[in-house]
Amino acid sequence: MAILISFDIDGTLEFGDPPGGITLEMVKRAQDLGFLIGSCSDRFPSAQKSLWEARDIQVDFVAAKHMLPDIRQRFEADIYVHIGDRDLDRQLAEQAGFQFLWDHEGEAEPWLEWVK
Amino acid sequence: MASHPMTPNSWHRNREGLGIWHGRGKVAATGVGTSPTARRWDEKPETSMGALTLIAIRKAIEDAGISPSEIDGIVITPESTTGVSNDPNTPPPEGWDQVFKMVDYPQAGITRGDIDWILVNMPELTNVQFKMEGRGCMSVSFTTAAEAVARGLTHTCLVIRGWHNLAGRYYVGQGAAAGDTLAGPQKYAGLWGAPACAGTAMIFEEYCNKYGKNHDMMAPFIVEQRKNGLMNPDGFYSQHRPEMITVEDYLSGRWIAKPANIYDNDLPIQAALAVIMTTAERAKNHRPKPAYVLTHAQTRPESQGVTPTLESWERLSDKMGRMLFEGAGIGPDDLDFENMYDGFTLFHQFHLEGLRFGANGEKGRGYALDLYQEDISITGPNPVSPSGGNNGNGRTRFWNHRDSILQVQGRSPSQISKPANIGVSGSHMPHMCDSLIWSSSPD
Repeated sequence: MAILISFDIDGTLEFGDPPGGITLEMVKRAQDLGFLIGSCSDRFPSAQKSLWEARDIQVDFVAAKHMLPDIRQRFEADIYVHIGDRDLDRQLAEQAGFQFLWDHEGEAEPWLEWVK
Repeated sequence: MASHPMTPNSWHRNREGLGIWHGRGKVAATGVGTSPTARRWDEKPETSMGALTLIAIRKAIEDAGISPSEIDGIVITPESTTGVSNDPNTPPPEGWDQVFKMVDYPQAGITRGDIDWILVNMPELTNVQFKMEGRGCMSVSFTTAAEAVARGLTHTCLVIRGWHNLAGRYYVGQGAAAGDTLAGPQKYAGLWGAPACAGTAMIFEEYCNKYGKNHDMMAPFIVEQRKNGLMNPDGFYSQHRPEMITVEDYLSGRWIAKPANIYDNDLPIQAALAVIMTTAERAKNHRPKPAYVLTHAQTRPESQGVTPTLESWERLSDKMGRMLFEGAGIGPDDLDFENMYDGFTLFHQFHLEGLRFGANGEKGRGYALDLYQEDISITGPNPVSPSGGNNGNGRTRFWNHRDSILQVQGRSPSQISKPANIGVSGSHMPHMCDSLIWSSSPD
């Protein structure tokens, strides 16, 4: 089953500003399971790319937050998930046909159950 | 609540026909002190807006090379945000009183700049006699201090502004959106929660329609702003997010109020600035080269509807240009750089055109976005916003003034290549602005 996870950065990932609860370990674990991963944030795309590169993670995509529909078009997956910390994340995710998880829900890594 | 007199209205140069400013070349800025920056307050006393203010003041005094006891005046802008803030009666956080002495206003040093709080926490300021509040904007504090020095009310005056940014979202749940009911002007303009940049976006759209321009033409200005800001070691981005924006990044930005995208909006931060303003005579004994004030001027909105119009922005920014040139005895072509306000980026060109900056004595309105397509860098013939402004440094409304002072002193981190003899800075909106002309020479 193909799963694509889009992470918001600020307030969601541990290297965001403010830091969120999703750790790099969690991101790597998802990647090791073969998930398509990347970020959709209000940080501009070239900055998102630099943030991932600085942490030695090769992501599949970076995009502005409102470009979630574009990500859905570009990648074939069975499940599309966006994880964020604001109502705006939820609104944009739902509009793009993504499942939405709040940052605190993401911290439990529910996707590990999905692949069992 | 302790408060001090605000600037007398008669001090503002807000009409044409006043002639050369009486203080022209007799007042100068010398020492400049800038605090560290942060994205938000972490609620520790030592990183509060007040703490940052004290850091900035001490740095300014040290930079000027004078003793704290020489300071005999303070002008402060008490407001320290335009965004969400605490109720004025919110008590300080636990431990606050173990770090700072208290005054009777509980939010002093937290969400309000307060002269009395500064004085009780800086015992080395032993001779402050002149105290005034330049309300609303640090630009007002600069023009107030310039007048106070020119009028002989203070000879060595601190000009201070701190900015706080609390956790949460800057414009969410505040003001009209915070209550159950609406009253006053907000009942017309704020009912449905239009984002702050919406008014600017509408006028920008009208501007583009009138002159045949478009939002994409802003990109070179945005890139240049960030480039200049990243040269400033005191700016938020250089300290915390040293990332260069590209044209593609800018054009991919999410619309906040189309045609204003997220990167047309400045990022709220915590920071403080203090500047020493003094007489031309005393400035000779300060360490930095004096940055002389040639004049100042003010515009305020005309009575009209609930939102400004393109026409009023053009008329009032034109008036600002004429008042400044009259008061300083110079013309548009004498400006070596401009550091007018940019928060939001989409109104910067109104200021620029009001000053006829880079117009070569020929152009009327509607040329600024074409100018952005030319060389507007610090090495070019028309350095636009060499400070990087709010967009390149974080939201404060003071980077532009700070850099104008440093430019004419010859020590800006983004120093323009050509001689920086005369420049201008002003904030904030095109129809509501306080500006100064700065010069390397009093003449």
